[in-house]
Amino acid sequence: MESYQLLHFPPHLSCVHAALYTNVSDSDSLRKRLVAASTAEGPAGERERDAVNFSFIEARLITSVKHLRTAVYQAVLAETQGALRTKTVHSEIIWALNPTNNISEAMRRYGVSDTSTALVVVRVCGPDLSTETVERDMDAVVKGTKVPFTELQQLTDWAAVKKYHKLGGEAAIRDAKDDIEHEHAIVDGIVVSSVAMKSVSG
Amino acid sequence: MTSASLDLILASTLISQGAEAKVYKAKLSSDPSDSEILLKHRFRKGYRHPTLDGSLTRARVAGEARALLKCLRAGVNVPGVRMVDAAEGVLGIEWIHGQSVRKLLPGGAGEDEDASGDSEPEAADALREYDIPVDALMQLIGQEIAKMHLADVIHGDLTTSNMMLRHPSSFKSRHPTLSTELVLIDFGLSFHSSLVEDKAVDLYVLERAFSSTHPDSEPLFASVLRAYEQRMGKDWAAIGRRLEDVRMRGRKRSMVG
Repeated sequence: MESYQLLHFPPHLSCVHAALYTNVSDSDSLRKRLVAASTAEGPAGERERDAVNFSFIEARLITSVKHLRTAVYQAVLAETQGALRTKTVHSEIIWALNPTNNISEAMRRYGVSDTSTALVVVRVCGPDLSTETVERDMDAVVKGTKVPFTELQQLTDWAAVKKYHKLGGEAAIRDAKDDIEHEHAIVDGIVVSSVAMKSVSG
Repeated sequence: MTSASLDLILASTLISQGAEAKVYKAKLSSDPSDSEILLKHRFRKGYRHPTLDGSLTRARVAGEARALLKCLRAGVNVPGVRMVDAAEGVLGIEWIHGQSVRKLLPGGAGEDEDASGDSEPEAADALREYDIPVDALMQLIGQEIAKMHLADVIHGDLTTSNMMLRHPSSFKSRHPTLSTELVLIDFGLSFHSSLVEDKAVDLYVLERAFSSTHPDSEPLFASVLRAYEQRMGKDWAAIGRRLEDVRMRGRKRSMVG
């Protein structure tokens, strides 16, 4: 798991913890658990929501750590401005990743689905929650192998990324088609910028 | 200060200030591996009604970000977008390590000093660091503007100050012979247009900037135009003809008649 601070946000939103899991075997039950937790009532519901209070992101659609961090930044920024389009800062990260404004489409594509095998898990919180606690809670929710973020490049499904961002016919991609590494860098550049400017994409 | 973006600005280093915006160097997170970004803050204008000020600022931040994304998609070298806070008028973009073309060409280095005598050898030295002949640099300029115009983006303020060369040490060049890359910056006055007139005026503005900044600029700009013409293909004929017209009458079209 890696942790960093967002230096200029209010304390309760200043710590970001993120981990990458591969070989995830329980994504279908995890998804059902999330859906059930969102509507559970009473103190048991509160406890359950607390246990799954993370952003579960489809790792094959993340092109780089910068991509992930840009979405986290814009989601937290929206939270500080009272401008969330979704219910929590964690669902807002998923919304920020998706190029369109359709929330259920964002969850379907960029959230955990029954077939997900690699997940990025993110928690935005205050310094009161220790790194160890967050890591323990994450490990308790996801059944998989935790790997360093350097593995992310091997997981990215570039064809799906290009499709969702409608990059197939773009001049930038055509120019780079002979050099796969270069093409990936171009796609990442466009995707990161799209996420950063989503609030004004109009 | 209650806004996160204003706190971010307070912690950043001021690079320069214009009438419309202040520019800072900033970091978004505590992680040392996170690269620095450039923040452009369109600060509040006290001389405008607050409501009008807010909507103008929002529209301009949005416009600049959209133009950058459009250019990225079209394969034009521009800085990537890193964060947007339209409500506060803050746009965060990729930090380009390098130097403006203005300072790399003869005449552009001594911007504020009057010791113009030694500026030419300095510019030549600087260009050597980037390992690019002047003519190759002019071709890059022509190609990049052509790519931008083919995407129907009009820059609106083309000058040699609004173009940068990436420092060879800051990135991995894909070019077979060049170790640098030309990046167009400052899309604050840009807009979308497919009109021949707007493209011709864009070129004319650059031509005037060349001749007012760099001595003996005619062969330089001619070289820019040749590369532009080559890249534009069939679209060039109409733009070239219109550029002749614009040279005769100036940037503004006459309102008479």
